[in-house]
Amino acid sequence: MSHTRYRIHEAGEPRTFPPAAMARIEKILKRYPNRQAALLPVLWVAQETWGWISKEAAEEVARVLELPAAHVDGVLSFYTMYNLRPVGKHLLQFCTSISCHLAGAGSLIERCGKRLGIGLEETTPDGKFTMIEVECIAGCDRAPSLMVNDKYHEPMDEKKLDLLLDRLSKEA
Amino acid sequence: MSRRAEGSGGRLSGAAPPKAPSGPAPPAPPPPAKSTFTVLFDGKAIEVPKHLNLIEAAKLAGVEIPHFCFHPRLSVVGQCRMCLVEIEGMPKIQAACTTPLKDGLSVRTTTDKVKNCRAATMEFLLINHPLDCPICDQAGECTLQDNSFGYGQQFSHYDERKRQYPTFDRAMIGPHVVADMTRCIQCTRCIRFCEEIAGTGELTFLDRGGRTLVWTHEGKPLANDWSGCAADVCPVGALTVREFRFRSRVWYLQKTPSVCPGCNIGCNISIESRENVVYRFLPRLNPEVNDYWLCDHGRFLSESLNLRDVEKATIRDGGKVGEAHVPAAVERIAAEIRATLEAKGPEALFFLGSAHLSNEENFLLRKLADHLGCANRDVFADRSRTRRIKSQTEWLSGEEAAANLRGARDMGATPGRGGFGLDALISGKALPEVIFVADANFSEIADDAEKVAALRRARFLAVAARTANALTRAADVVLPAASLPEKEGTFTNVQGRVQRFERAYLPKPPVRAHWELLLLLANALGFGDRNWTPSDLLARIAAEVQGYGQMDEGALAGGGLLKKGDFAWKGAP
Amino acid sequence: MEPVLTARVGKPNSRSIETYLADGGYAALRKVLTGGWTPDRVTEEVKKSGLRGRGGAGFPAGVKWGFIPKDTKGKPIYLLCNADESEPGTFKDRLLMEQDPHQVIEGIIIASYAIKCRSAYLYIRGEFYDGARILNAAIEEAYAKGFLGEDILSSGFSLDLTVHRGAGAYICGEETGLIESLEGKRGQPRIKPPFPAVQGVFDCPTIVNNVETLACVVHIVNRGADWFAKIGRNEKNSGPKLYCLSGAVNRPGVYEAAMGLPLKDLIFGDAYGRGMKNGRKVKAVIPGGASANMLTAAEIEDCPLDFDGVAAKGSMLGSAAIIVINEDTCIVNAAQNLSKFFAHESCGQCTPCREGTPWLYKVLTRVEGGEGRPEDIDLLERICNQMANGMTICVFADAAIAPPLSSVQKFKDEYRFHVENKRCLVGPKALVAV
Repeated sequence: MSHTRYRIHEAGEPRTFPPAAMARIEKILKRYPNRQAALLPVLWVAQETWGWISKEAAEEVARVLELPAAHVDGVLSFYTMYNLRPVGKHLLQFCTSISCHLAGAGSLIERCGKRLGIGLEETTPDGKFTMIEVECIAGCDRAPSLMVNDKYHEPMDEKKLDLLLDRLSKEA
Repeated sequence: MSRRAEGSGGRLSGAAPPKAPSGPAPPAPPPPAKSTFTVLFDGKAIEVPKHLNLIEAAKLAGVEIPHFCFHPRLSVVGQCRMCLVEIEGMPKIQAACTTPLKDGLSVRTTTDKVKNCRAATMEFLLINHPLDCPICDQAGECTLQDNSFGYGQQFSHYDERKRQYPTFDRAMIGPHVVADMTRCIQCTRCIRFCEEIAGTGELTFLDRGGRTLVWTHEGKPLANDWSGCAADVCPVGALTVREFRFRSRVWYLQKTPSVCPGCNIGCNISIESRENVVYRFLPRLNPEVNDYWLCDHGRFLSESLNLRDVEKATIRDGGKVGEAHVPAAVERIAAEIRATLEAKGPEALFFLGSAHLSNEENFLLRKLADHLGCANRDVFADRSRTRRIKSQTEWLSGEEAAANLRGARDMGATPGRGGFGLDALISGKALPEVIFVADANFSEIADDAEKVAALRRARFLAVAARTANALTRAADVVLPAASLPEKEGTFTNVQGRVQRFERAYLPKPPVRAHWELLLLLANALGFGDRNWTPSDLLARIAAEVQGYGQMDEGALAGGGLLKKGDFAWKGAP
Repeated sequence: MEPVLTARVGKPNSRSIETYLADGGYAALRKVLTGGWTPDRVTEEVKKSGLRGRGGAGFPAGVKWGFIPKDTKGKPIYLLCNADESEPGTFKDRLLMEQDPHQVIEGIIIASYAIKCRSAYLYIRGEFYDGARILNAAIEEAYAKGFLGEDILSSGFSLDLTVHRGAGAYICGEETGLIESLEGKRGQPRIKPPFPAVQGVFDCPTIVNNVETLACVVHIVNRGADWFAKIGRNEKNSGPKLYCLSGAVNRPGVYEAAMGLPLKDLIFGDAYGRGMKNGRKVKAVIPGGASANMLTAAEIEDCPLDFDGVAAKGSMLGSAAIIVINEDTCIVNAAQNLSKFFAHESCGQCTPCREGTPWLYKVLTRVEGGEGRPEDIDLLERICNQMANGMTICVFADAAIAPPLSSVQKFKDEYRFHVENKRCLVGPKALVAV
């Protein structure tokens, strides 16, 4: 079945939230009655700061929120959108749930994989693209649905995919 | 994630007011509130205390509700789905552990539906469970085996690849605990233990769904003071104790109720031995002392009980140390004592008891000293870092590195009027002719060259010992003495609770229990009945020691479940 | 029926508060806060309207609000807007939030007033980055205009609203999974009882309502419970409804209609799906998202799309996500895809679901891939029957068994064909051409 999420990779160096991130975190903390409740939003801040959440980033989050590191790991690995390893500049998220599946998501993924030379869960050697499958992202009426990082690209088809990859490849 | 199942208020059983012969009936007084609920198990009604979980209530009724994730001291999670039962008035099957007790609750545990649900849960648990029984330590004390045998099917319909966690098998999850996560049934007992009892929270679920496993944060292993308990609560062989791994099949182990020698909390343990070798300690339930738990320090002292250097009695004559028969060695000691008594009087003697020895042994030592008129007695225990254990209601702590300092003092193995103690001896203020050390393994002092030298200034030094140290090497006579599992007796713990430990096996002759050696010496000096046993000594303690009345083996049976404070020693005689 | 919930969708600047106000927005809030409505009156109105939850369970919203204890023993009450929309086939909440955020916000404020909540959260799935941005901007506008914050419209009622982003877990759409996630934990559903209205988030009384449900509240206040109750087939299935149509139809999309729109109209109606793409025939319809039992082509006749209508057909309206499968699609393939979803999304807490969902996926994968055995068909039914009806902590397992169980029961021949011939009945993985 799909990849497992119990390996939280190491960054190899300690992580400390920069001041701007800490300022955001302080604001976030004000909206919750206790520190633990701010965990998901703070993990998002960590992901936005470093692109992915490493073992060291998890420790920093644990420190800031005064939680056991194991608890942070448990939450981190439960939710699929937190990247536990570095991902490419463009995270290509292909929906493969029923409506998109019926609309041909499978062949889109095949085509994309062939073009980029990678399989699902893999990153291109130049670090530009990572390709993953995701479950329903509520784009069913514009199936097959694709997200690249935080943006929807739907409906997607093979032609549009080629053009999209062309454009993204050219970005610095 | 966890929620203790709550009981809703019970219905009060009402009584109809009595009819008055004429005039309006007086208002009936409200019926007294019950402190129990009436619960029916398969039609049979029993009264159960309101605070119990339904699984515990069933046990009171003699009904077994199989379960994995429920533990009487951990929060209720209702995850394993093994305890499913039918509740009258509820159409769907219910988890017993999450069903609140209420008055009139009627539970069915023998219907076809219940049987099928149990079989279904067992099938689901076994589809990914590895067939490790032949190599798994848990075999023989495995809840999965037991419930499978009792409630599962004969065969499985599963014919796919089993999920595995190869990097988390045979892996150290902590210094004392080996993980084989492929065996895990995701019951979360270990996670809840670390969160709720130990308070350290090292364990967590990682990933989700069928790929869920238990692990730690990398670099923060399962290393709290009670990590062995995480392996205890694990119902399968996913967490096992490293020190015990592959050493013995559990059905060969003899279980002897005993008390941990590690500190003065006196956690109740089961000494698990085979052919006169201790293989492990397990905690033994005592809600008022250690409850279900045992700290790693105490648990892993088990090995040390197998150590023995002293196998025979020895006597030093001139410069040479030669083996001797125990009676001869005892007689040698007695002769020295008699001679000194006559020449110098009892002030020239010194008797050292031990916080590692039982109440019976320290008592006998004190009585012997009394018989000789000697007030020079003492007992000493090393201090340790604070050990803690959680009873059912509170945390207990102990700071003495031995089980029975309090009991030894209560028995009077302390300086009498006009007598001197160990301090004076070591500092050189006092110098007796004869020193008798009932237990040469009483403290680290016995391996301190300077302090031993102080003791060696006595003309004649005799000890009983199990393992060698500077003191045994310096002594004139060494008697071979038993280890904890080789004798029986009582200890008095930090709460003042007297707790009995039983004998697992006899020591290998000529090794004898300390009380036996003391009795031989006492007899040789004209004191005590040669037929005395620890029971006799206990009876005498009950008669003579203030605060230790009303004690006998019946009262102590099962491990000292006596009220606190019944025998708190108020002061030295 | 004139659009109610989607009235502003597609209009220029539909997101801005100016547009919303110009269109009569926040009038309902004014009515409630300055028109002398007590919180209980709001609840009564919602009860009278017959509004049933639009998230999937269809529980009467006003009744749910009434479960909050009268004496909360000093604990604050929380309103959680469930915007975790993750049921495959569902995309109506996304539309509402992205196109008309203030309608949702106003509904949240009114509902918060009704249940005496001081601090509300909008739990939005992580994938709705745009939705979260749009809502946050709208919330800021609402604060600026005094519709949120202290002493709203000088009524003495204060409310803080915080958008809380999820991070990829369907199970966080389950109300207690959502609550656990909001508390900063793994989104593992809780044992019920106790119910959230009594003991919810942070151990406080909590009401969880779907986005569309809360949007309806605005209109119930504006136009009255009687108006709302009259829309639809009967008062048990009332109000305007958003339907999500996807699959092998010409015009997939979100369609608003009175509760009880006939399923065939939705698929074939000119105002709606406009029939099957490429003139293919209907083979099966899933009427209520992946968790609903499949209907055969015959069963879509006389099927009003409301709670009782779909229930009468042996399925459920759920999140009103209608997925249409055509004759070129292998049902086994569809079931296998759906089982993959459930295996991915199981939280893993309890044994039958944790072990059963991957097992179903593995068996279906084998059968679909040509390695099926005759006993697999009975096996699939057996596994399903061992997983549901109280075997689990939450009804995720009951949802997970719907595709395999209903498809095996209704399309047994197709499964038999797969097992005997090691391939699809309708050709190799035939799908709708893009």
